[in-house]
Amino acid sequence: MNETKTAALEEEMMNMKNVRVPSSPQDVHPNKPGDANVHLETQNLHVWFGKRLILEKVNLAFPENSVTALIGPSGCGKSTFIRVLNRMHEFIPGAALAGRVLYDGQDMYDASVDPVNIRTKVGMVFQKPNPFPTMSIKDNVLSGLKLAQMKYENPEEIVRTCLERASLWNEVKDRLDASASSLSGGQQQRLCIARSLAVSPKVLLMDEPCSALDPGSTRRIEETIREISSDMTVVIVTHNMAQAQRVSDYTAFFLSEDGAPAQVVENAKTEEIFKKPKDSRTNDYVNGLFG
Amino acid sequence: MSVLSLIAFSLVIALMGSVLFSVFSRGLPAISLSFITQNNTYISPTTELDYGGVGHALLGTLMVVAIGMIISVPLGIASAIYITDMKGRLSGFVRFMVQAMSGVPSIVAGLFILAAFILTDVSGFSALTGGLAYSILMLPTVARTAEEVLKLVPKDLRDAAIALGSSRARVIMKIVLPTARTGILTAVILGVARVIGETAPLLLTTSNTNGTNLNPFVDAVSTIPVYIFQFLSSGYPTAINRSWGAAFVLMTTVAILFAIARIVERSTKKG
Repeated sequence: MNETKTAALEEEMMNMKNVRVPSSPQDVHPNKPGDANVHLETQNLHVWFGKRLILEKVNLAFPENSVTALIGPSGCGKSTFIRVLNRMHEFIPGAALAGRVLYDGQDMYDASVDPVNIRTKVGMVFQKPNPFPTMSIKDNVLSGLKLAQMKYENPEEIVRTCLERASLWNEVKDRLDASASSLSGGQQQRLCIARSLAVSPKVLLMDEPCSALDPGSTRRIEETIREISSDMTVVIVTHNMAQAQRVSDYTAFFLSEDGAPAQVVENAKTEEIFKKPKDSRTNDYVNGLFG
Repeated sequence: MSVLSLIAFSLVIALMGSVLFSVFSRGLPAISLSFITQNNTYISPTTELDYGGVGHALLGTLMVVAIGMIISVPLGIASAIYITDMKGRLSGFVRFMVQAMSGVPSIVAGLFILAAFILTDVSGFSALTGGLAYSILMLPTVARTAEEVLKLVPKDLRDAAIALGSSRARVIMKIVLPTARTGILTAVILGVARVIGETAPLLLTTSNTNGTNLNPFVDAVSTIPVYIFQFLSSGYPTAINRSWGAAFVLMTTVAILFAIARIVERSTKKG
């Protein structure tokens, strides 16, 4: 009985894999061999603010349970891009987009899709730690479940597992009722990660999560990223080349030349991007010649 | 520059001190338990201070201010949310109207309620009509102050809540308002402070009475500002002392209300 179920499941997964092959493979980095699927991808994505085209023709796919780093000079639209991935983009006045963003094969900008629903599946961690100052540490972890009106049981267990995964549990287990603003910056950022994990997203977007933190906190967050990527897809924007190499499986290089809309110059396995990039601009950027 | 600011500072302190000192020194002699608890029935402007008091007017003022708050606080906060968080198509217009309203002279607010409710026989003089007139004056203060404090809530927090899958309504109710709680309380306090001494609108909307009226919907009610006006205009020395006493009671009431608000605010923050 169990065996047949497993076999059926495997077959289904194989089929799904076939369905989800990105439409323009030349622009998409390779899936991990074997077990990885594509959960989230963009197809021919263009983004505007007012009349200004910010991003042009972005085709990226994020293989399931992998870490993808987005690198590139400041102002080249990386943050804009990841805000597109959970529909936070539409809160900016004048923001518009064309192309498709597929989550599990469905266009998340389709009129039938509830953006609130998308955001519980695609979580986000911001540049500046932003725990809710009026809530305790514990309530911060549970806040997503309450805000999204999700049903849950056993709050203690959720708080514990999420804080453990964000490697914060040992530091705060004795003061879960203390205010979140009593924590240090690095701890606050890890609390924000724990808060995002509580709603069990499939994808976690991170917009330069370590740029405001000291090296020690950065290291712990990088460990957390590696840890959560075992069952979660992570997309991280970073300006730190060493960090991209340490945490990511894939890297996409964004570049906007002379005020032209930004494009993805190159995306591949992180090793390839840093060791033997195909494009000379990528080579110059990762070796610190500009940016 | 520092000398100038020191002079300005001293002037302000001197003015405030002088106001406080005169209310204290002239009002305090009139104060007794009976002055606070008794009403004005059978009291003439020449009656000794041992008899009669502001009890009825104190209750009346509390009723009128409470009604004004019940109307203007939700409306004021709602319009502040509309301007800052909803950013609706009419938010510029709403902000303009709120600013224009803050310039409405208090007697015009009273005249409006008089014309709209009392002269049309919808209602007689009552605490309710007084509260309506007060709410017109409180609304712009509450709305503008609330707008300023809602703007101070970091956008980061709104983003965080949205990214967690919250609806916009829940962002406002669960994150923005709790974060701005202290500021909202200040908005309410400023609103109360704006109106509590207003006399002109009440002369036209609550009228005055000597007895205690605890029904906010029917019949004239006395309030402290009108009580002060009533006795001050009679000209007798004891009557003027009553007015000073009433002014002292009004100021103390305001101080006590604000202190209670701050204590409540502090204790809920810890809980």
